Amino acid sequence: MDPYVVAIWIVRIAFLAGLYLFMFGVTRLLLRDLRAAARDPGGALARLVVIGSEVAEPPRGTVFGLDAVATIGRDVNNSIVVEDEFASAEHATLTFRGRAWYVQDLASTNGTFVNGQRIEGLSAVTYGDELQVGQVRFRFERSRR
Amino acid sequence: MTSAVEPGRPGHPALEAAPATGRAIGRAIRRVRPRARRRESGLLILVGLILLLGSISLGATQRESAGQKVAWLPSDTSQLLVYLGALLAAHLALVVTGRRADQILLPTVGLLGGISLLLMERLPQSLVSQSLLGRTFGLASIQLGWLLLSLAVITIAAITVRSDAWLRRYKYTWAAVGIGLLLLTFLFGSEVNGALLTIQVGPFSGQPTELIKVILVIFLAGYLSEFRPLLVEASMRLGPLRLPPVPYLLPMLAMWAIALGIVVVQRDLGAALLFFAVFLALMYIATARLSYVILGLVMFVVGSFIAYQLFSTVRDRVDIWINPFSDASGKGYQVVQSLYAFGRGGIMGTGLGAGLPLVGGRLPIPAIHTDFPFAALGEELGLIGVVAILGLYLVLIERGLRIAAMAADDFRSLLAAGLTLVVGVQAFIIAAGNLKLIPLTGVTLPFISYGGSSLLANGVVVGLLLALSDRGVEPPPPRRARAR
Repeated sequence: MDPYVVAIWIVRIAFLAGLYLFMFGVTRLLLRDLRAAARDPGGALARLVVIGSEVAEPPRGTVFGLDAVATIGRDVNNSIVVEDEFASAEHATLTFRGRAWYVQDLASTNGTFVNGQRIEGLSAVTYGDELQVGQVRFRFERSRR
Repeated sequence: MTSAVEPGRPGHPALEAAPATGRAIGRAIRRVRPRARRRESGLLILVGLILLLGSISLGATQRESAGQKVAWLPSDTSQLLVYLGALLAAHLALVVTGRRADQILLPTVGLLGGISLLLMERLPQSLVSQSLLGRTFGLASIQLGWLLLSLAVITIAAITVRSDAWLRRYKYTWAAVGIGLLLLTFLFGSEVNGALLTIQVGPFSGQPTELIKVILVIFLAGYLSEFRPLLVEASMRLGPLRLPPVPYLLPMLAMWAIALGIVVVQRDLGAALLFFAVFLALMYIATARLSYVILGLVMFVVGSFIAYQLFSTVRDRVDIWINPFSDASGKGYQVVQSLYAFGRGGIMGTGLGAGLPLVGGRLPIPAIHTDFPFAALGEELGLIGVVAILGLYLVLIERGLRIAAMAADDFRSLLAAGLTLVVGVQAFIIAAGNLKLIPLTGVTLPFISYGGSSLLANGVVVGLLLALSDRGVEPPPPRRARAR
């Protein structure tokens, strides 16, 4: 057989093999990335980040992971405790109902604010919204997953 | 030069004497912390080796057909080396500025672009020629220029975009720009193959639809992230479907009308299909409601039926799709030749540079460098190579959707998903068209087809994805109060 033809074939196959080597390498990186994301304990549905706080607890920068139901208030039984005399004992709830998030004001004395507007009863919130309870401002964010 | 020294601030006298501009630069340099990107470097080395192998393969084949038997020298590598140098420069720019952006997108796009360059070197250079500064450039040189510009766009966008406020705040401005570009094409577009696609400005011509697709995604991401709660809270029932109140359905109607308008006025089926598909996908991502998708598909079928009845272009495309061999030397010619090319390629392919036998001294597929590069690759790399290339697009899509899933808020998430889908759906539309899986529509194969508009628009897409994936970008701004 003509060695030149064989040489060309080897180079051709090496090129195709190279393409698959690249795919193999990338796929390994992607899998590693996905596994790392799956191992991440941050299994929360969303997060509340404290972006401004006039009180000791919670301080600015705190991040709360949210389950499907989260309660906010001064009482220690709330999932997010706001130690602020301007917050009611049971101030508000944040719930995930199938497709969207809602915040509900539990008839608090000083009200719950979404993007600076006081809400009445139930109100839908989306990621990026700013919530205020007492003197604590939160930003509602997607979970980093 | 002014030596503005802040009063009341003690400091080293030499430093205080230094000009303010110099200090600002110094601060900027000190703030930059280079950060190694090992995954990207490794993958880029692999990309370089693969492309050099491809070049050797191409060179050996070309010399064999010219009667020379020198196996181990590559073809003319100067263009490939310039391209690889640009890839390296893009990588180094990201390393030096310390960006923590995605490390897989750049090598993947780089490999696709390199394959494009090899393909363009291999096609007859006289397909496209442009004179500039007294020199005439052929197909590969021009494509190389566009690829370099595209890499520059990717790098600049990835490094400089640190905030998305300019995208999210002016969504109606972006929509107006998009519609303006569309109207410009309607009014001043010149006709290519029966489709109004290109605008000519002096010596340059461009396809605005490529840019419009990016603008469309920016607008849709802004619109859907703002009105998502309203779109999700459904209230109107129509048989088994739960629909939102009529006012919120208007954008869908408008989108449908625009897509149909593109078909009617521009005869650009590919762009219409792409826009509508991306719109529906984003709608579904934003609301997770199947009723929108079903409604959209019904509207798509109705629109397609109307277009089929009214316009001969649409009828032709569908007839060719159903049976290209009924008019194999006329209307179905390109599709038939494309199928032949895939057939000649078989599983292993003929090898780079060994395909494309001329028919009567001419290329079998005139639009091989724009609409049919997938067929050319199918012939020369075979099933194995084509599957690998589709795999590269899948990698792009996976990365983009991961970036969307990790985004901090709805706007970024929808933007990343939309940008990804625009590239992915476009690749699918043209690859499936070449394979006769769906009627052929003239869109470009992202990063492989010849053409500046396409390469630059897709460069913007990848650059924005890189910027969105960077964990160091500033957090999204709080939303303005909703007017109720």
